[in-house]
Amino acid sequence: MPAYLVIGNGIAGINALEAIRSLDPRSPLTLIAEEDFPPYSRPLISLVLEGALPPERLPIRPPDFYRRLGVRALVGQRVVELDPKAARVRTDRGEQVAYDRLLIASGAHPRTVEAPGHQLAGIFCLRTQAQVQAMRAHLPGVKRAVVLGGGLVGFKAAYALLRQGIAVTMLIRSPHPLSQQVDPEAGALIRRELERHGLEVRVGVEVSAFLGSKAVEAVELSDGERLACQMVVVGKGVRPAVDFLPPEAVRTDSGILVDQHLQTSLEGVYAAGDVAQARDLVRGQPWVNAIWPVAAEQGMIAGANLAGRPVVYRGSLGRNVIRIFTLDLMTAGLVNPPRQDDYQVLTHRDPRRGTYRRLVLHRQRLVGMVLLGRVEQGGVLLALIQRGLPLEVDPQRLLEPTFNFASLLP
Amino acid sequence: MKKVIIHPERCVGCLQCMLACAVAHSASRNLVGALQEEPRPRPRIHVGVTPSGRGFPNRCRHCDPAPCMAACLPGAIFRDPTTATVLIDPDRCIACASCAMACPFGVLRFHPTFQAPPGKEVAVKCDNCDQRQAQGLPPACVEACLTRALTFEEPDQALKRQTDRISRLVLEAVPYAEDLPASLSLLRALKQATAEMNRR
Ligand SMILES: Cc1cc2nc3c(=O)[nH]c(=O)nc-3n(C[C@H](O)[C@H](O)[C@H](O)COP(=O)(O)OP(=O)(O)OC[C@H]3O[C@@H](n4cnc5c(N)ncnc54)[C@H](O)[C@@H]3O)c2cc1C
Ligand code: SF4
Repeated sequence: MPAYLVIGNGIAGINALEAIRSLDPRSPLTLIAEEDFPPYSRPLISLVLEGALPPERLPIRPPDFYRRLGVRALVGQRVVELDPKAARVRTDRGEQVAYDRLLIASGAHPRTVEAPGHQLAGIFCLRTQAQVQAMRAHLPGVKRAVVLGGGLVGFKAAYALLRQGIAVTMLIRSPHPLSQQVDPEAGALIRRELERHGLEVRVGVEVSAFLGSKAVEAVELSDGERLACQMVVVGKGVRPAVDFLPPEAVRTDSGILVDQHLQTSLEGVYAAGDVAQARDLVRGQPWVNAIWPVAAEQGMIAGANLAGRPVVYRGSLGRNVIRIFTLDLMTAGLVNPPRQDDYQVLTHRDPRRGTYRRLVLHRQRLVGMVLLGRVEQGGVLLALIQRGLPLEVDPQRLLEPTFNFASLLP
Repeated sequence: MKKVIIHPERCVGCLQCMLACAVAHSASRNLVGALQEEPRPRPRIHVGVTPSGRGFPNRCRHCDPAPCMAACLPGAIFRDPTTATVLIDPDRCIACASCAMACPFGVLRFHPTFQAPPGKEVAVKCDNCDQRQAQGLPPACVEACLTRALTFEEPDQALKRQTDRISRLVLEAVPYAEDLPASLSLLRALKQATAEMNRR
């Protein structure tokens, strides 16, 4: 009977626990997880910040989940050391746990900003439900907030605050938010929609200091200007949570590198979710796609492999669907392809319907898309990207606002 | 278990299934009442037009495993353990459209329904008419389809019928070889005679 150990109770860890138990009902199965809140939906925390969802709606598994599954759950403990030779981990409470097979599903930690004054109250990252609770407690009295970064999380934080009538200034490097997810034309449309609702965007400036006595009262920008604000949200991206790994113990790049069974360079040690770097379906190289559906899928597949059923992971694909006030956005794959002849970009604008579509093709294969407005059929396009086969229909058809599954048939 | 099976070669694009579906998913469950309801009842089966101009009735396949279920952020999508139907809880749904991104068939729509909290837009798709089925009725789309482009039957049976049909087509197109050994032609004659008797 192998002893299983899972680190992390995000969606990757939770799905892995379930997959392991569905194949192996009896072997000892241990979970170590830093957050002691019941397993919850991380993407929903920005809705809690917005006040659109009560925190008690965050959990996605029942309170007795671990017991029912027969999992020894060490929650509220952090793994501080992994000894691959002894096949054992140690937690911050001194607990030692040995394993035969290990899954690292520790996710990612937000990057922080180390400018002077960064320890002032009112400066937050948005990653855990505990952080959101602290933000909610700080909200009364906040009239203006500054959001650092325009990636997915910076964007979501800004959106949640705007929805509550708080003025938001966003500091970003590229001219529009979500620059990793969309092309410049869609980005401009998104920026305009956000500005219509009170967002102020500042491009090309950084924070040089946070000012205030106890709580933040202003930020000082790299161009010398001061912006008064009562809250700061840092959305500078994430880094894989691998602090407990001894250097050189496993092969890493931007995440822990895994093979097609999600096994790391160490035999019997697997990785899944935001912490893992698997092959990207359209880039053809290892890539971290730190999104929910990828973490969910990798967790299930890693769990099966841990339990001895060899399942191949075909690869990950970056994708997002976001509703921005009255604008819907769906993006996937390579949206800003390298400047090379064998890429083809098709666009379609329909001002009457308020839609914009951009498709990226590589040698007759669909490899990327941006849809603004009318996103319901986006899953059909996404399936074409995931399938990776040459298109059998005229790609112009895929751009039409009336495109649907039947358009792919004879 | 019986399933709705689509026979696109029989679809004439009359949209009767869509109408019946909208009515079946209204509060009043009849056409006159449905027309006056707010929010307006809408279909969960969608007849698309293929490039050659033919109709294709598109509905949820209730896949297993279901990609929408794994993608749903708040866990609003679940499978009814008794009917195997994939359902959406309108109270949990946050209309994030993650399911639409995961569905390779494009069957999800977003709008208010009489079952959802008032004024809330939610993800909506086919529910196999589980309520009608509980009363012994077939799904509304099947009942409405006059050309039998939608049937409600055991998948095994439907598959067997299709296999037989294709074998027949092939055999009609490709006659038996002439140079088979005599023993085989005897066997063939026997089989033909049995088939002939079965048909009577
Ligand atoms: C505000 C916000 C909005 C988002 N919105 C979307 C969205 O709309 N769509 C989408 O696809 N994705 C979204 N994401 C991303 C998505 O939430 C993540 O991709 C997903 O949660 C990753 O799951 P995971 O299981 O890999 O890691 P995590 O959810 O990060 O879980 C890892 C767990 O491991 C624990 N852990 C870490 N280190 C240790 C240790 N040493 N010892 C013990 N435990 C440890 C952590 O505390 C954490 O609980 C969003 C993320 C955020 C923050
Ligand atoms: S729209 Fe509703 S059902 Fe669909 S994924 Fe989002 S929450 Fe789940």
